[in-house]
Amino acid sequence: MTPDRPGRRPGIGVALGRVAVALTVAFGGLAAGAGYWQVVRSGELSSAPDDAAVIAAGRHVVRGEITDRDGERLAWSLTDANGEPYRKYLSNSLSGVLGYASRAFGSAGLERAYDAQLTGITSADPVQDLVKKFRAEPSDPQAIQTTLVAQLQEAAVRALGADRGAVVMLDPQTGDVLVIASTPVFDASAVADPETSAQAFGSLQGDPDKPLLPRATQGRYVPGSVFKIVTAIAALGSGAVSADTTFPEQPAGEKNGLVVSGYRVRDGHHGSTGSVALDFAGATEASCNIWYALAGLRTGGDALASWAGKLGFGEPIPFDLRTAASQVTGGGGSFGGGFTDAVELANAAYGQAETVVTPLQMALVTSTVANQGILMRPHLVRSFTGRAGTQDVDPEVWQRVLTSGQAREIAAAMQRAVEGPLGRQFTTGAQVNGLTVAGKSGTAELGGTGEPNSWFIGFAPAKNPEIVIAIVVEQGGRGSERAAPIGGDLLAAWKAWAGR
Amino acid sequence: MDGTVIAIWVLRLLFLAGIYAFLWAVVRVLLRDLRAAAREPGAELGRLVVVASPSGEPAVGAGFSLDAVTTLGRDVNATILLDDEFVSGLHAALTYRGRAWYVEDLGSTNGTFVNGSPVDDIALVSFGDELQCGNIRLRLERPRR
Amino acid sequence: MSLALPGMPRLHPRLRRRELGLLLIVALALPVGSASLAATRALGTATSPPIGGIPLADGVALAWYLGGLFAAHFLLVLSGRRTDQVLLPTVGLLGGISLLLMERLPQGLAGGLGLGRTQLVWLLVSIGFIAGIGALVRSDAWLRLYKYSWAALGVGLLLVTFAFGHDVNGQRLTLTVGPLTGQPSELLKVILVVFLAGYLSENRPLLIEESTRLGPIRIPPLPYLAPMIAMWALALSIVVVQRDLGAALLFFAVFLLLLYVVTARASFVVLGLLALFAGGALLYELVPHVRVRVDIWLDPFATASGSGYQVVQALHAFARGGILGTGLGAGLPTIGGAPPIPALHTDFPFAALGEELGLIGIMGILGLYLVVIERGLRIAASAVDDFRAILAAGLSLVIGVQAFIIAAGNLKLIPLTGITLPFISYGGSSLLTNGVVVGLLIALSDRGAEAPRIPSELRGFRRLRDRGAA
Repeated sequence: MTPDRPGRRPGIGVALGRVAVALTVAFGGLAAGAGYWQVVRSGELSSAPDDAAVIAAGRHVVRGEITDRDGERLAWSLTDANGEPYRKYLSNSLSGVLGYASRAFGSAGLERAYDAQLTGITSADPVQDLVKKFRAEPSDPQAIQTTLVAQLQEAAVRALGADRGAVVMLDPQTGDVLVIASTPVFDASAVADPETSAQAFGSLQGDPDKPLLPRATQGRYVPGSVFKIVTAIAALGSGAVSADTTFPEQPAGEKNGLVVSGYRVRDGHHGSTGSVALDFAGATEASCNIWYALAGLRTGGDALASWAGKLGFGEPIPFDLRTAASQVTGGGGSFGGGFTDAVELANAAYGQAETVVTPLQMALVTSTVANQGILMRPHLVRSFTGRAGTQDVDPEVWQRVLTSGQAREIAAAMQRAVEGPLGRQFTTGAQVNGLTVAGKSGTAELGGTGEPNSWFIGFAPAKNPEIVIAIVVEQGGRGSERAAPIGGDLLAAWKAWAGR
Repeated sequence: MDGTVIAIWVLRLLFLAGIYAFLWAVVRVLLRDLRAAAREPGAELGRLVVVASPSGEPAVGAGFSLDAVTTLGRDVNATILLDDEFVSGLHAALTYRGRAWYVEDLGSTNGTFVNGSPVDDIALVSFGDELQCGNIRLRLERPRR
Repeated sequence: MSLALPGMPRLHPRLRRRELGLLLIVALALPVGSASLAATRALGTATSPPIGGIPLADGVALAWYLGGLFAAHFLLVLSGRRTDQVLLPTVGLLGGISLLLMERLPQGLAGGLGLGRTQLVWLLVSIGFIAGIGALVRSDAWLRLYKYSWAALGVGLLLVTFAFGHDVNGQRLTLTVGPLTGQPSELLKVILVVFLAGYLSENRPLLIEESTRLGPIRIPPLPYLAPMIAMWALALSIVVVQRDLGAALLFFAVFLLLLYVVTARASFVVLGLLALFAGGALLYELVPHVRVRVDIWLDPFATASGSGYQVVQALHAFARGGILGTGLGAGLPTIGGAPPIPALHTDFPFAALGEELGLIGIMGILGLYLVVIERGLRIAASAVDDFRAILAAGLSLVIGVQAFIIAAGNLKLIPLTGITLPFISYGGSSLLTNGVVVGLLIALSDRGAEAPRIPSELRGFRRLRDRGAA
C-alpha cells in the first residue's frame, strides 16, 4: 500500500468527523437535560418547601397572614428582640391543620404546603412572578384566606375532649373545608417561638399520643359500618343491586349467621329486625351486616374496588395537605379487585376485614351522596392576596360518581338511619332540633380486647345539604356512644354559625 | 421599577450576550477554516516519487504529495522519512517559492544531489529532475489533478 | 527572511490577529460580569443582606487574570509559530467565568488565600503552562518513543498514591509531598493518552487489517489488544479501589473513542460499551459504594435528606435558575453560612452556574467546551502523522469527555462522579493538568511555515540552472 502522505492512511479524518458529530449530539443532550430541569421542572422545584431559597426566605421574610373564612386571624407574625420574625397562632385547635413554621424545625401542615407563597417566593399568579423579578423588593408574601371557621374548629376540639380522634366538616356543594381537626392538639405557638421552640418540639416528638400526626388526613382507621355507604355506592352505581333488592337468606342469617365459604358472618342486630327481609333503606337503617355482605358479594370485588377508586380510595387524595391513601383491601389477592376470597369481600362490605380509611376520605364519600352524586375537590384555601391583588380559588368538580337519582336513594336511606325509629337507636345524639340530619354511625371492631372505633358520618339538611361531617373517636366505643353525639353537637354549632 | 435593579438586569444580559458574541466570533473563524480546508485538498503543488531505495523504506514507487515546505531525512520529525545510513537526521528541504521548486541542503554529512550534481546551499529543481540523498533517489513530478 | 523549520528554534514573531480579537471580546465580557456581581452584592438580595459599597477587590483579581491572558498571547506571538488561535481565548473565557464564580462564593471554602485568590493563582499557572508549552515544545519524540516508560510511570504514580496518599471524602486521590498537595490521577489521564497514542499509531495497520471475527462482529486481534486491555484493566481496578469512578469512566470512554478513531470499526465500540455495562452491573452487585451512587442517580428524591441530598440540591439550583438565571451573586441561598450544595466549588460548579446564569448561560458554557473539542479534533484531523493525530484527538477527548461526564452527573443524566469540570472547578491539579493538555494541543497545531516568497538574493533562476546542471 503506497501512502499518499507520509505515515497517514485515509480513514482517521472520517472517523474523527464522526466522533465530533457524536460529541456534539451528546452535548446537545446535555442542553436538553438542562432545559428539562431549568424550564419544565423549574416552577415545581423552586417553590417546594424544602428548596433552599424558600427556607432562607422563611428566616428573613415576614410570612403572609392566614385568616379564616370570616376574616379572623389564625396565624400571624411577630418580631423578636433581634427584629427577626416568628409565628403566632390563634388557638391550639388549629394545630392539626395549620401546622407550624419555625426557624429551627422547618414547617408542617398548611404552613409547609404553602411555604413558597407565604414567604413570597412564588405567588398564585405566574405573571406576577415574572414581573416581580424586576422589582427591587422581589419578595411578595401572600396572605391566605382559608375556608376554615375558627369557632367551629374550636368546638370540634372541645367536643373530642381527652379522646384521640378527628373531625372533618366540609361543604358538599363547593368542596370548602370548614373544620379539619385532630386531637390531641399541641401548642404550635410554642414551637414557633424561638425561645421555647426546642423544648416544645422535643416533648412533642416524644409524646406517645403522637400529637404531631394529623389524624384527619393521615390517620388510617378501620371504618366499620360507615363503610357500608361505600358498598351502597358501588352496589347501586354498578346496578348489581337496586333500592328494592331483598335477599331471602338474610332473615335466617340474622338469627344463625350467614355462612360464606365455610365462614360464619354474624350480625348483632338480628333480634330487632325480626324475620323481615330488608330492602336497601331498611338494611341501612338497621345497619344490617348480612344484607350488606350479600350485596357486596353480588357486586363483586372488582366493582367494589373500582367504585371505591372513583371516590378517592387507593391513592392519596389531592388536597392542600398531605393525605394518606385509604384502601378497601390490602391487595394481592386473586379473587377480583385484590380481595383474597369471598370471605374477605363479605367482611369488607360492612367495613371490617382489611378496609382502612382516613376521616377525610369518609367525608368525601358522604359529600358525594350529599351533592347528588357529584364529588367536589376538597380545598382549604379560598384566596391568595399579594401586592397585585386577590386571586380566588374556585370550586372544582373532581368526579361524577352517581346519578342524582341513585344519590337520592342513598341520601334517603341515610336520613332514615338518623331519624328513623330504629336508626335513632344507633345514632343517639346525632339529631338536632330544627335541622334534618342524615347519616350513618359505625362501630369498628379492632379485634382483640380493645374498644372499637366510634364513627359517625352525616350531612344536613337532609334535602339540599349544605354541610357534611365525618367523625372518628379512637377506641371510643359504639358509634352512638361518642361519635354520634359529637356529630349532633357540631351540627348544632354549625346551624348557629350559619344562621339557619 | 428601581434604577439599580434595571442596571443589574442590563449588566446580566450584557454578560450573557458577551459569551454568545465570543461564540459567534469563534463560529465565524471555524467556518472560514472549513471553507479554506475545502479548497485545499486536491490542490497539490507537486509529487515526489521514489526511484531507488535499497533499504526499502520508503518503498520503490511510493508517491508523496508535497506541501509548500517538505523536509527529508532520517529524523522522525522529517516530513518524509528516508531510512538509509547515509542520510542525515534532517537532510534536505524541498520548498515551493513563488512558482518554482527549490531544494535546500540542510547541512547534511553526505550532501544532496540534483541529477547527479551536488547542491550548494540551495538549487532550483524542475519537474522530472531527480534528487539524491544518501542511497535514495527521488523524482519530482507534476501534481496530479 | 528566516524560515522557522520544525526542530530549529528561531525567533520570528508573527501577529496573531484572530487570537487578539477573541481575547478582546473576553476582556470586554468578563469585566461586565464582574460589574454585575459587584452591583448585585451592593444591592443585597431577599436572601442575603447587602454589603456596604462596591468592592473593588473583584476588579483587581480580574485585572491580574486578563493581564496573564494577554501575556500568554504575547508569548505565543513571540514564538512565531502558526498555531491555533482559538484555544487560548476559549479557555481564557472559561477560566474567567470560574474566577467570577470563585470570587462570588464564600471565601472560607478553601484555606490559605481564600477561594478566589487561590483559584486566580492556579489559573495564572495554568495559562503559563499553556503559553509555555504552546510556544516552546516543538519535538514530540520524547512522547512518541518512550510509551512503555510513560505507562510504567503512570502505574507507578497510581501505586504511590494508593500506598502513601490520604483519604479525602472516601477517595484516596490526594498525595502530599512537603508543602504541595495534589491529585496525581489528574496527570495520569494525560500519561495514559500519550501511551495510547504511541501504541495505537504503531499498531494501527495491524489493528485494521487483522481482526478476529466472532460471527458478524469484529473484535481487534487478541495478541495486540491483550496488553492494552491488561493495562486498562489494571488502571481501572486500581481506580475503582481508590473509589474514583469518574476517572475510570473517563479512561474507558477515551480508550473506546480512540480505538474507533484508529480503526473506524463501530463494532469495537459496541463491544466496548457492552463490556462497560456488564462491568457496571457487576460492580453494582458487588461494590457497595457503586450501588449507592447508582441508587442515588435513579431516585435522589427518595433519599433527599440523606445520600441524595447533594443531587437534589443541585437540581433545585438548576430549577431556581430558570432561563435567564438569578444573576451572578444573587442565587445560591446559604444555609447556615454555607452554600446549599455540599462541595459546590469542586463537584458542582456547573449547577452553581446553572442557577446564576440560567439555561442561556449553561448553553453558552457547553458551547465553549464544544469549541475546545472541535478545535482539538480539527488539529487531529490535519496532523501530519498518526501519532500526532491520535495524541491530539485523545487530548481533546480528555477535556471534552470529562466535561460531559461531570455536567451529566450534575444534571442527573448519569450517576454523579467526583471528577472536575475542566477550567471551571476549583483545584490546582485539575487546572494544571488541563493547562498542559491545551498547551500540547497548541503545540501540535503548528502548521509549519507558509509558502515562502521568492528569496531576494536569488535573482533569476538561470544562474541556478547553470549551477545545478552537470
